[in-house]
Amino acid sequence: MTISFKQIEEKLKTEAKRLLESGQVSVVLAYGKGYDEKHPMPYVARNPSDVANIVFNEYCNYNMARYLVRYPAGTKIAVAVKAADSRAVIQLIQEEKVKREDLVLLGIPVYGMKNPKTQEIIDGKTTGGLYNPVLYDILLGDEVHGQAIQLPYDVLAAYESMDKEVRFAFWKKEFDKCIRCYACRKACPMCYCDPCFIDQNKPKWGDKSPKFHGNLMYHLTRFHHLAGRCIDCGECSRACPVDIPLYLFHKKVARECEEMFGQAAGMSIEDKPALVNFRVDDSDKILE
Amino acid sequence: MSRIGVFVCHCGLNIAKTVRVSELAELAATLPDVVVAKDYKFMCSTPGQEMIVNDIKQHKLDRIIVTACSPLMHEQTFRKVLAASGLNQYLLTIVNIREQVSWVTHDIEEGTTKAKALLNGAVYRARLLAPLTSRVIDVNPNVMVVGGGIAGIQAALELANTGKKVYLVEKNSTIGGHMAQFDKTFPTLDCSACILTPKMDAVLQHKNITMMTSCEVSEVKGFVGNFDITVRQKARYVDHSKCNACLACTEKCPGKGISEWDEGLVKRKAIYIPFPQAVPQKPIIDKESCTFFKKGKCRLCEKACEQKAIDFEQQDTFVQVKVGAVILATGFDLMDTKPLVQYGYGKYPGVYNALEVERLFNSAGPTGGKVTLRDGSEPKSIALLHCIGSRDKNNHEHCSRVCCMYSLKFAHLFKEKTSADVYQFYIDMRAAGKGYEEFYNRIIEEDVKFIRGKGARVTQSADEPGRLVVEAEDTITGKFIKLPVDMVVLSPAIVPRADSKDVARLFNLSTDKQGFFMERHPKLAPLSTMSEGIFIAGVCQSPKDIPDTVAQAYGAAAEALTIVVKDKMELEATTAMVNPASCCGCQNCVRVCPYGAPGFNETKRVSEINEALCKGCGLCASVCPTSAIIARHFTNDQVLAEMEGLMEF
Ligand SMILES: Cc1cc2nc3c(=O)[nH]c(=O)nc-3n(C[C@H](O)[C@H](O)[C@H](O)COP(=O)(O)OP(=O)(O)OC[C@H]3O[C@@H](n4cnc5c(N)ncnc54)[C@H](O)[C@@H]3O)c2cc1C
Ligand code: SF4
Ligand code: SF4
Ligand code: SF4
Ligand code: SF4
Ligand code: SF4
Repeated sequence: MTISFKQIEEKLKTEAKRLLESGQVSVVLAYGKGYDEKHPMPYVARNPSDVANIVFNEYCNYNMARYLVRYPAGTKIAVAVKAADSRAVIQLIQEEKVKREDLVLLGIPVYGMKNPKTQEIIDGKTTGGLYNPVLYDILLGDEVHGQAIQLPYDVLAAYESMDKEVRFAFWKKEFDKCIRCYACRKACPMCYCDPCFIDQNKPKWGDKSPKFHGNLMYHLTRFHHLAGRCIDCGECSRACPVDIPLYLFHKKVARECEEMFGQAAGMSIEDKPALVNFRVDDSDKILE
Repeated sequence: MSRIGVFVCHCGLNIAKTVRVSELAELAATLPDVVVAKDYKFMCSTPGQEMIVNDIKQHKLDRIIVTACSPLMHEQTFRKVLAASGLNQYLLTIVNIREQVSWVTHDIEEGTTKAKALLNGAVYRARLLAPLTSRVIDVNPNVMVVGGGIAGIQAALELANTGKKVYLVEKNSTIGGHMAQFDKTFPTLDCSACILTPKMDAVLQHKNITMMTSCEVSEVKGFVGNFDITVRQKARYVDHSKCNACLACTEKCPGKGISEWDEGLVKRKAIYIPFPQAVPQKPIIDKESCTFFKKGKCRLCEKACEQKAIDFEQQDTFVQVKVGAVILATGFDLMDTKPLVQYGYGKYPGVYNALEVERLFNSAGPTGGKVTLRDGSEPKSIALLHCIGSRDKNNHEHCSRVCCMYSLKFAHLFKEKTSADVYQFYIDMRAAGKGYEEFYNRIIEEDVKFIRGKGARVTQSADEPGRLVVEAEDTITGKFIKLPVDMVVLSPAIVPRADSKDVARLFNLSTDKQGFFMERHPKLAPLSTMSEGIFIAGVCQSPKDIPDTVAQAYGAAAEALTIVVKDKMELEATTAMVNPASCCGCQNCVRVCPYGAPGFNETKRVSEINEALCKGCGLCASVCPTSAIIARHFTNDQVLAEMEGLMEF
């Protein structure tokens, strides 16, 4: 089975048009043309006539769930979601940032998405390795069947084999590169805080200049804030201009949370956010 | 600039043994803003307190640091010292160098260094402390008692007699608890019903007690002085306001259920009262065994009822109860001994558990008080096996405390009612209680045989079908014995109620290793809990006999009274608040708060904390990603300053 990106694009356009024309939604969050094929852009269609600008190809990685929280409560929004993106929507519903009834989820079953910088296939590496949206209203194509090429935590094998010192040296080198552009935070659907802790001055949680210690403070805290919430879309890592593999840390924490609390982020709207929920049968491992 | 006084306590040798206290005072004198620093043998003594008072005056101190024991012990003592000297009581800091330092090390170097670090942190924090004003709230004068066993009954009566209104919530259809199942009670062998039923009746008649049977607590909101509790009234399918307790319905009912009251030894009707002296005397319908509910036809009870009290449409309802304090008296369960297959309970008809035997003795029980086996015959030899599942590392480590004594009671009753030989298999005889040793001696005189050795196994006799064989090692003679008997009585471990974890969660209690409700202090506060205004009494706290249970009930009633006797009470000022400008609306605070204090304001899209509900635990502040929450007395600045001080060592 091969994916027809063109077909998905057509369906996306048709549904977007129908939804806007009928007034069912006032906004469609999808993808639009960029300066070239490899660099499509997040696109917001508000009028039926905007729909012509919508595109879809293997570089449309952006997690459009990122933009949901920008709209006033009650806005009816249709959003194009790939597997990981749908998990972000679910997580936002769990966190009561958006309401299920305000959304129309245009599910995109797809594999073979590529990183425009490296041309490498991102499925499973930087993403959760799912192909079908976990939650959708309209599916724009046929469900993808078959085994994932790479499971979400496969990439951790090499990382986990590093011992403590090597691991620290690894992150030291990576975080030394960080220029504190905050593109990771901007790209992340779960980083919706205004103000973010790192922008605060009283108390000042970390140095704001791009030096190792402040960088470490920013990143470790951000990893911590995303524990049990990161839905493994990999957008932070792709957004990073200096290619810091943030996904490794996120995946590591995600796996631990999953093992400890028996739930992965954004898999069911029935779940409660793992780290701020108490269940009598919660594992005490976290206290050890 | 603040003016800090540091007072280092030796606590006799408790602290001085592993912390060089004078060195601590010397260090303190060099720290910023510290004006005076002293050490003294017992800071909590009157001279110790006077020293602080004088120094406050003489040196115009405005912050006091006492490095001593846990704030749980003496925070109130020293706060009063500040208040008496005209200082705001929140300008006190206690540094715990006893429980957290001297008692956890033998190494004086280690102890001194840690104490210095804690003190340094405290000085840094103290400089940033601000005076706070305690809140004064109205206290609801009513009390709720959960569980209508002897503990709950006694506590409810005591409180009601002081004029307070009491809600007694019982999940069964009758009050009475386990005691109502017994025939006689050790050590005096008084008839259980004769001493209990008058109290049950007194509950029913008392104008200050609202008895809520077939009820369970489903939600607890609020806090000490102002609990707002939702009680689920389970459907009884009989309207008790109409029922006149004629019980004509129960005669007509063809339904058959298993009598829980008789420990499953007999059947009962589907519409029933559990036992003749039940309070209230009004029946309920058990849906599971009711022919109408099962098959859609019958309604014979409805026809029999002249009062038209039967209501098959009845639903569970929810009742809102407001009280100032709560006493939990939910009692115990017996351990299920079926999984201990070596004893054959549930497999061999001749093996009984202790509660079943209580029912056999009881004249209102399944056999009318005659001791007969399941086949109707009278046992000729009986073995009583102590400590089944108790004092057993593989099951329950604790001693169930009453089994030795009730086994002696059983032995006596068996001797009285049958001509059987009675054997006790015990590990140790524990008869510590008023009149207990005497009772033990009396039973020895009654020709009961005592074998010191825990029953290891019960098997079926190969030669005599239907008979049982108890295997044990007699630890006095060292011999392994096999004793053929007709009846085996197990004394299963007394364990927490199956739902005790849920109840603990509802009321914010902790449970101990065994799962019993945890008291605030094992010796000095056995009836209070870490949740203020929630008290415990009876076996829900730990296994005990009726005398101890009743004593605890009186105690818990007095404790509850100390709260509801006042019209107003002071609450800690250490609450949390949200800075709306920094709130991102993640609602983490709403989710983690154990007291339901934060709520989300949909219009402003930020969270807000209801100060009246906030207990100042600080959980919300720790999960707020954007540090929008200010926990008074533990603000970010104060905590960070303290950490900075700590990390200098
Ligand atoms: C076989 C046996 C024989 C004994 N014989 C003697 C004796 O001879 N003399 C003696 O001094 N002691 C004896 N004891 C000990 C005695 O049973 C206890 O000391 C006493 O029953 C404890 O009373 P209680 O009120 O704490 O608990 P319980 O009697 O267990 O009563 C608890 C009550 O709370 C109710 N309840 C439970 N959970 C809830 C809930 N969630 N909501 C509402 N209600 C709830 C229950 O239905 C029950 O009515 C014996 C114990 C056993 C096991
Ligand atoms: S942390 Fe990265 S991978 Fe996780 S949800 Fe945010 S952008 Fe996606
Ligand atoms: S890093 Fe933390 S505070 Fe900042 S936006 Fe992300 S989740 Fe919010
Ligand atoms: S995107 Fe990369 S460089 Fe920018 S702040 Fe994040 S990690 Fe640093
Ligand atoms: S946790 Fe903090 S940011 Fe989140 S809703 Fe509460 S106050 Fe606001
Ligand atoms: S400090 Fe926060 S979590 Fe604790 S009781 Fe108050 S509002 Fe609730």
